[in-house]
Amino acid sequence: MKYFACHWLAVSSLFLSVLARAETRPQYGGTLRVTTHAAPSTLDPADDKAPDSFARRSVTSLLFDTLATWNAGHAQPGLAESWQSSKGNQRWQFRLRHGVKFHDGTALTSEIAAASLRFTNPAWSVRAEGDAVVIDCDEPNPEMLAEVALSRNAILKRDSEEKVSGTGPFHIVEWQPGKKLTLAAEEDCWRGRPFLDGVEIEMGRSFRDQATALEVGSADLVEIAPEQAHHFSPAKGRLVSSAPVELMALVFARDVSAPDEKLLREALGLSVERQSIHSVLLQGAGQPTGSLLPTWISGFGFVFSSKAGLQKARQLRDQVHTARTWAIGYDGSDPLARLLVERIALNAKDAGLSLAPTTLGTSDLRLVRIPLASSDPWIALEGMAAQAGLSKAKNSGTTIEELFAAEQAALASQRVVPLFHLPVFYAASASLRDWALRTDGTIELANAWLGAAK
Amino acid sequence: MTFRRKLLVVFALTVFLSVAGVALLVQWVTRNAFEKTENQRTAALVTQFQREFSRRGEDVARRVEAIAASDSVTRMATALNGTSSDFAEYFDLARVMAENHQLDFLEILDGRGTIVSSAQWPAKFGYPEPAFESLSASNDQRPFLKLEELQDSTALGFFAAHAIHVGDHSVYVVGGQRLDKNFLLALDLPADTRVLLYQNRGDRFSPELLLDPAAAGSSAGDPARPAEKFAPLIDAVRKYDQEISGLVDWTSNRADEEVFHAIPLRGVGKDRPLLGILLIGNSRRSYVELKRRIRDAALLVGGGGVVLAILLSSWASARVTRPVVDLARAAQDVASGNWSASVQVEGHDEVAQLAESFNRMTSELLAQKERLVQTERVAAWRELARRLAHELKNPLFPLQLTVENLIRAREQSPEMFEEIFRESSQTLLAEISNLKGIIGRFSEFSKMPQPQLQRVQVNEIVEAVARLFQVQFQAQGREAIHCEMQLDRRLGPIAADPELLHRALSNLVLNAMDAMPKGGTLTLRTRRDDGKVAVEVCDTGSGLTPEECERIFTPYYTSKQHGTGLGLAIVQSVVSDHGGRISVHSEPGKGTTFVIELPSNVDALPPAASLKEEIAGKLPV
Repeated sequence: MKYFACHWLAVSSLFLSVLARAETRPQYGGTLRVTTHAAPSTLDPADDKAPDSFARRSVTSLLFDTLATWNAGHAQPGLAESWQSSKGNQRWQFRLRHGVKFHDGTALTSEIAAASLRFTNPAWSVRAEGDAVVIDCDEPNPEMLAEVALSRNAILKRDSEEKVSGTGPFHIVEWQPGKKLTLAAEEDCWRGRPFLDGVEIEMGRSFRDQATALEVGSADLVEIAPEQAHHFSPAKGRLVSSAPVELMALVFARDVSAPDEKLLREALGLSVERQSIHSVLLQGAGQPTGSLLPTWISGFGFVFSSKAGLQKARQLRDQVHTARTWAIGYDGSDPLARLLVERIALNAKDAGLSLAPTTLGTSDLRLVRIPLASSDPWIALEGMAAQAGLSKAKNSGTTIEELFAAEQAALASQRVVPLFHLPVFYAASASLRDWALRTDGTIELANAWLGAAK
Repeated sequence: MTFRRKLLVVFALTVFLSVAGVALLVQWVTRNAFEKTENQRTAALVTQFQREFSRRGEDVARRVEAIAASDSVTRMATALNGTSSDFAEYFDLARVMAENHQLDFLEILDGRGTIVSSAQWPAKFGYPEPAFESLSASNDQRPFLKLEELQDSTALGFFAAHAIHVGDHSVYVVGGQRLDKNFLLALDLPADTRVLLYQNRGDRFSPELLLDPAAAGSSAGDPARPAEKFAPLIDAVRKYDQEISGLVDWTSNRADEEVFHAIPLRGVGKDRPLLGILLIGNSRRSYVELKRRIRDAALLVGGGGVVLAILLSSWASARVTRPVVDLARAAQDVASGNWSASVQVEGHDEVAQLAESFNRMTSELLAQKERLVQTERVAAWRELARRLAHELKNPLFPLQLTVENLIRAREQSPEMFEEIFRESSQTLLAEISNLKGIIGRFSEFSKMPQPQLQRVQVNEIVEAVARLFQVQFQAQGREAIHCEMQLDRRLGPIAADPELLHRALSNLVLNAMDAMPKGGTLTLRTRRDDGKVAVEVCDTGSGLTPEECERIFTPYYTSKQHGTGLGLAIVQSVVSDHGGRISVHSEPGKGTTFVIELPSNVDALPPAASLKEEIAGKLPV
């Protein structure tokens, strides 16, 4: 009996360990169902008409590759297996990987890569030299590696405006712009065939619908709104969040045109009670901020004050004889945006300022969410400035002091009132394995696979 | 105005006033009845509103109580304390609870009145509730009205509050539902009645604040019933702080008027602010139409009554005024000389008595006239005998003397008898001639014929008379007389005897010539005078005294040394026979004017054809 029990125990343990080992081993097959809030109308990462979003970048990474990838401050080889810079970082040479093919079967060449980079960067002088791509800049560009890692610099083969071809692990099966994207695994991907057979992405879904879809099992990977993350139950799935990679800010449509307006904008910035908004409306997600770059990127974000100063705000307001009502625009499809704008309007009213919320296209200022373009602070600052309509931040600095000065100058223009740095949240069903969140807030699905739900 | 017309007016006025009086009375009664009904309707509607308000309020109170008693709120109340409040966790609680309990408004307040969670304005967490003081101070648990400030508007609603006491601190749940068009639509309104609600916000009337269920779907309201019409009523309620009624006229048609009763709706607190004004309107269409019908009926009846009055008056006058008219006609006949006029007597009333009296009067007058005529005739005969005696006596006395002289001469002086006989014969012949002249004039006067009426042009006769005496006007041995003719050529023909008329005018001209021995101006004038023809003979002689004017037409009266005094009597006789009148106007030294007025009477003449025959037979060839 004892022998039998021990034997049985041994056999069952072995069986279970085999099973367990089998479960932790990636499996091929399955179609990953993803939902996103953003609804991009184009798949071309270089199309500036479509707003930037994490979802768009994530989709780009499934379809296309960059010369290099940038993660945690380091560049990793992508389509370029090696690179070198010269002339004080004014010239960069990227040697392409061999044997890479586009989804249409065309081989990746340096000419195609150069053409793709020229398309997205007219200021660069890009040429093909053998199997390398050479980029010449007018000024030293130490952030070149981070720049070529941006999704907009992904290498595409553009046969026409609508027909683009990439080298990513998935190719397009069906594309309904703004609604649905169906991808299939690329068998001959240079990185190796992905484990997933396909990815179905439903776009333009509200956060609430996404949470419900995950709960009922109609989606495997969803986005979670920051204010809902606090209440996310582990029973529903696995919640993953990034570092603060999104800036929520008020962006004015025009530069300051009069001294009175300067005072009023300053008063507005001081009137916003970021702490209470962060605590209640955001449910503690993210961080209140007075800086453009999050501290984890710049290291000095905390220097810019985010505290409210209602009394000072009132004093500034009292110095102005008449202040007209500002129209504050927001995304009408975002319930959180509406609440935030209403709260900001209330805070502004306490300071004697009048804000009228509107979802119409024209407004004096707008509540926006600006995704960080990169974890490289200079690129991130440049991208943020571009999104806010500021003049391009000087990109020639290397020191933290120069970076601080650049950010300070950008804030001094009073075009932007930073409010919060927000992380992005994703929740996945238990069946999705080996998926990762990059530091830029995009999802890494190249090695993801679907297992049995636990 | 004739008696008949007066009667008609009286009848018509009587009928009209009666009908008007009845119509006014009916209208007054109707108006009172309508007002009474209107007041009853309004009172009923107010009661219904209050009942519905209470019902809804109680419903809200129940829901608020249920929310307050829920586990979520209880846990929250337990978790919140008076020193630090973490609203984050309960931020969305009010919205969820409001949705679950179908409330439009829900706020959860901490013990200090700070909003923990708000369903209607989520972003307002952490802000104080403005009405907290009155809510917490009020011991009245009944539902109440409140003006709730929202993000971009203000809404009126009925609310209920419930306090949850946990240990030393409290949490308040304040929930409510909108007082909006749906509430008004739920009221059971009688026909011609409607209800509106004005949300009292701001200092001035604003059409956007008026809730009109009838204008659902149109933010601009009913263009046929602009909201601005309510402004005076609303302002009056605000000013006088009481229920006020007023008339709102939408068009010039009075049937479109509505009477509105404005009832103030108050909130809670010491001030009990005026939060809304309930407007209950009753259409006056039915009343106005009823009034119109009454008026139309009154007009119809009044018109019919007037027609009836006309008929009645015609009938009455036929019975009443006819005898009076007959009497009046008979009186006129008598006045015009027909003394034998009489009136038929019918019945025994006062009019019949009057007719009898009239008949007796005319009979008496006729008898008196006959007696007078006889008396005058006797008097005339006496006068004639006296005059004849007087006239004959004069020539007879010399006749007698002459014959006595002849007798004496034959007896005493036969030798002179021949001479005396010759002288006496001449005297006798002269006096006999004188006698014959006197008798001839009397005979002539007595033989004045009745006028033979013909169609005569007066101007022609006047001109003939003027021509006749033209030579004598310029006769030698006397001063010239200028004859002036002022004839109205528009004169029509009259019925007259041309010869008699010629004679009468000739006598007047002769008199005028006798009155102007030293010459002068004789004016012959004809004119029309009120349907009659007037002939004037004016002289510029010595004139007559008033006494002479009175006696001048008396036969045998004369102011001349020579003359029978019959000339003017003949003239008067002729004028009288023609149905006319003669008068004299004179002052001493200013001449004399004789005026003959003759009626036309042309209609009394026989037709023209037979008239011509008559003329042909009468006039000498």
